[in-house]
Amino acid sequence: MDLLEQILPLVQKPARYTGGEWNIVRKDWAKADIKVAFAFPDVYEVGMSHLGLQILYHVVNSRSDALMERVFAPWPDMEEKMREHGLPLFALESYRPVRDFDVIAFTLQYEMCYSNVLNMLDLAGIPLRSNLRGEKHPLVIAGGPCAFNPEPLADFIDLFVIGEGEEAIEDFLDSYREAKSRNLARKDFLTEAARVPGVYVPSLYRVEYRADGEISKVEPVLEGVPEVVEKRVVRDLDKVSFPTRPVVPSTQIVHDRIMIEVLRGCTRGCRFCQAGMIYRPVREKKPATVLRQAAELVRQTGYDEISLTSLSTSDYTPVRSVIAALIKEHAGRGVGVSLPSLRVDNFSMELAKEVQKVRRSSITLAPEAGTQRLRDVINKGVTEEDLMAATEVAFREGWQAVKLYFMIGLPTETNEDLDGIIRLAREVLAGGRKAGARRGRLRVTVSVSSFVPKAHTPFQWEPQLPLAVLKERQAYLAAGLRERGLVFNYHDTAVSFMEAVFARGDRRLGAVLENAFHLGCKFDGWSENFYFEKWLEAFRQAGLEPGWYAYRRYEYNSVLPWEHIGAGLSKQYLMLEHQRALAGETTDDCRTGACSGCGLCPGLEVEPDYAGGEGDAQLPDAVQ
Amino acid sequence: MTPSYRMQYSKKGPARYISHLDLLRSFERAGRRAGLPLAFSQGFNPHPKISFAAPLGVGTAGEAEYADIELTADLPAGEVFRALSGVLPEGLRLLEVRSIPDQSTSLMAAVDCATYRALANLSRPFGRKELDSVISSFMARPEIWAERKLKTGGKKKQNIRPGIFTLSGKSENDIIILEAELKAGSNGNVRFEEVLEALMETVDLPLKSGFVLSRTGVFTRFGEEKKALWQDY
Repeated sequence: MDLLEQILPLVQKPARYTGGEWNIVRKDWAKADIKVAFAFPDVYEVGMSHLGLQILYHVVNSRSDALMERVFAPWPDMEEKMREHGLPLFALESYRPVRDFDVIAFTLQYEMCYSNVLNMLDLAGIPLRSNLRGEKHPLVIAGGPCAFNPEPLADFIDLFVIGEGEEAIEDFLDSYREAKSRNLARKDFLTEAARVPGVYVPSLYRVEYRADGEISKVEPVLEGVPEVVEKRVVRDLDKVSFPTRPVVPSTQIVHDRIMIEVLRGCTRGCRFCQAGMIYRPVREKKPATVLRQAAELVRQTGYDEISLTSLSTSDYTPVRSVIAALIKEHAGRGVGVSLPSLRVDNFSMELAKEVQKVRRSSITLAPEAGTQRLRDVINKGVTEEDLMAATEVAFREGWQAVKLYFMIGLPTETNEDLDGIIRLAREVLAGGRKAGARRGRLRVTVSVSSFVPKAHTPFQWEPQLPLAVLKERQAYLAAGLRERGLVFNYHDTAVSFMEAVFARGDRRLGAVLENAFHLGCKFDGWSENFYFEKWLEAFRQAGLEPGWYAYRRYEYNSVLPWEHIGAGLSKQYLMLEHQRALAGETTDDCRTGACSGCGLCPGLEVEPDYAGGEGDAQLPDAVQ
Repeated sequence: MTPSYRMQYSKKGPARYISHLDLLRSFERAGRRAGLPLAFSQGFNPHPKISFAAPLGVGTAGEAEYADIELTADLPAGEVFRALSGVLPEGLRLLEVRSIPDQSTSLMAAVDCATYRALANLSRPFGRKELDSVISSFMARPEIWAERKLKTGGKKKQNIRPGIFTLSGKSENDIIILEAELKAGSNGNVRFEEVLEALMETVDLPLKSGFVLSRTGVFTRFGEEKKALWQDY
């Protein structure tokens, strides 16, 4: 730690690199057969806010034959010092170099972290390309939502785990330990691992291209390697391992609170939403489990806030009674409850009201589109009346800041839809004034992102709008949203463009990533570190055209780069949903309406699992 | 008034890098893990009633730091000590806890001075006599100016010499140790880094590394005598 001690006084926020947090797990290095480094390709404060890290850390460290330590992407100031002093990337528990581990496991939460994956491998002194790594190097594996189109990273990652990781990693570790005991060569282990459900070994697949550049065929190169790797799904959230002694950082992180996952999956069926598609089916935790975990977490962490996390917490069947019980049990000791994602409806506002007895903040709602027509296209079951009613309640209850999330560039979007965003924002603002919110305090923030078509969604075939057009639309909104009390935020269109390229790209992009790394790209999700020119240069060097990926309309019969990765959804369903979208037809939530036939339940032999009980969540009316 | 306790603790290892604000949070969370009935301030954004003697720079170790904590129930100090001792993050260690009376002066106002130690590796031995003469000519200066960054973004020159009460040094083989007693507290505070920086301008030490800093004590003064912050408790 000597060298580290010399460097730490020279960098910002040194607590990012020291470890030593409460609940850290330090296992005996010599006694663990398998040493895994969990690598989060972003800065500490972001990575430590990720529940998946805490879950896998707990699962692996609960095994007697394995240990897991953590490593995050060092911020550029730290990286510079590490390179200057020759300090290789190290893990926070033992300060050992990452290259001494058996396995490095990356989580891929966001396409714009890919440059950090490469940079971290390089900082660790590990060859970037998997075919240049030998028996002495760690195995580099990856999972997370971006693994549902793993192809852009296919050259660098030895093995991907598709879908939910907490059970899959156990199977992977079992097979790894077994292979290690037989002294299996790396290559032979990978061939064996490819038979573990959910494991995708990219080097065992051959991709062929047509003259026009499209993929003609993806097939396994060996017998016994599955043609399609289906995602892993946890069946019972009550039985699966959940950490009640998570690591509690000593420095402030993004989500600095207890996170209890109350349900997984979402069946609302928003057509742009990848999470809603790939995390099906809905599985809810029993209230007793949630309450037990909460009590233990409060005791073990000392946090003052419990966040009930999920893709849509107001859909959790017993949400109201669980919140009431949590407040009753913990509010007396200054522990509050918070909800990360609120739907645009009265019921959610009621929940927010209950929660804010302890703590109050601004309210965020996501209508996503400005007109009913476009909201029907994306199947966002929210009406203007819902929004107005919800914000009215919010203002009446004393909130003075409302944040509205919209997306631009959605399929079929016209100027009318942009005008709709402006009109809605102004109406919400007027509603706030009417409700008596103080003029100086009243604030309606309109946050606009650009649509990025994602794999395994009904919009996966759709092109992204050209960058210049997105910019024009942003400018149009900016002009229309100039008013006291309105704040307009928007995402960098160039970042959204790159995101689209990698979200729907193929393995030829590996060359681009490698070039980008050499050009110094890193932390691309942080606007101050994103250099579009460098990315364009990386494409030029590779002889590839980014627009070919982002602006391409895939045909139904195109072989998609991720076609050999199975999210459990039938292609039939995605096509039908795409057509219904273009026709402006909505589709029911399968909780309450008819089964939409997504194919998941029969295909993966699972079923939705509701917590039951009072059923006090307000579910949408069935739409005909 | 609520029952108050004075804690003496050390802050070493990874905990050296916990910032002042984060330290407050760390104690708050530890208090909750310990099941202590923390007292909170009233108002819109309640925060636990924990106060510190003097902020410690990020990276500097503290060997005997002080903080006061208020509870809503009267517990024996020994119980508070036991409860908190087992729940602190690595590097934070409780040394002692005592109950303090309600009307005691605030911890911060009691602080007058602090002692420090700096340690660094040398690339070659540096003569003891030479070091002594460097220090005595440094201390003989009537004024020593340090530049401070202001919160407003500007800079201000400050004479820190009156706040340097003692400074001494010793070197053995490849290690140099400097020790100082400096003015601390709300009536003017001299940072050890400022002193070292000014000193380094007068001598070319063969340093192989940067200084590792520790605050070895925080004191209140009665005339010439310096006393630990326990006062009479």
